[in-house]
Amino acid sequence: MEQPAIINLDEKRDFQVDSSNLKHVRSFCREVFEKLNINQELKDELVLAIAEAAQNIVKHAYKNEKTDDKMEIKISVSDGHLEIGFFDKGRPVEKDKIRHRKIDDIKPGGLGTFFIQQIMDAVVFKEGEKPWINHLILSKNLNN
Amino acid sequence: MTYKVTEEGNISTVHLDGEIDMDVTEKAKEIIMPLIEAKKEVHLNLKEVQYMDSSGISVLIESHQKAMELGTKVTLKDISKSVLKVIMMAKLEQILNLD
Repeated sequence: MEQPAIINLDEKRDFQVDSSNLKHVRSFCREVFEKLNINQELKDELVLAIAEAAQNIVKHAYKNEKTDDKMEIKISVSDGHLEIGFFDKGRPVEKDKIRHRKIDDIKPGGLGTFFIQQIMDAVVFKEGEKPWINHLILSKNLNN
Repeated sequence: MTYKVTEEGNISTVHLDGEIDMDVTEKAKEIIMPLIEAKKEVHLNLKEVQYMDSSGISVLIESHQKAMELGTKVTLKDISKSVLKVIMMAKLEQILNLD
């Protein structure tokens, strides 16, 4: 029997930038991915990638400082192509400084970016259009 | 995240429950590190941990390294499928003590 096609969707939500909201980010992602005809393992990986990117905003763009700022996460699927956008108003991302640690170098930290790159097909940083400062795009082809 | 600690001889078993992310790593370290510093052998039971991200993995690495430094040991027990997947993604299955 032919697999039903992956539906198109476009959903976004704002979250106050705070580590206590990471669980709400995950809940939002799980809700959205429940609508997609993809396996649970892939859903879990995508939730991890999104949560790691959201964590990087809290940790690096805001240095884990208290703020009233919000980040926006937008999940879009079109013709089996998943695109996840992250928008924030924190410190501008210094693209040259973003690198995961060498995986053989066993020390705490630096794994989040490695996980994102393992899970997603592409990771692109863009300058955010006003009012945003940073715009990160994670993408993956779900048809594979 | 919730937890329970049980003691048997020199072995302290920390049963962690729930989701381990950046928001709870300090709490996790506050539970685990004093046990290691007291030179206990620590068993981390991860059966009820449904989610762990890179911050949680960092706690596992730090605990492991601290234990080695102090001549004791941290062993991960009953690792849930989702946590095992993240450990393997981080290529740590040969580094950490898994049981």
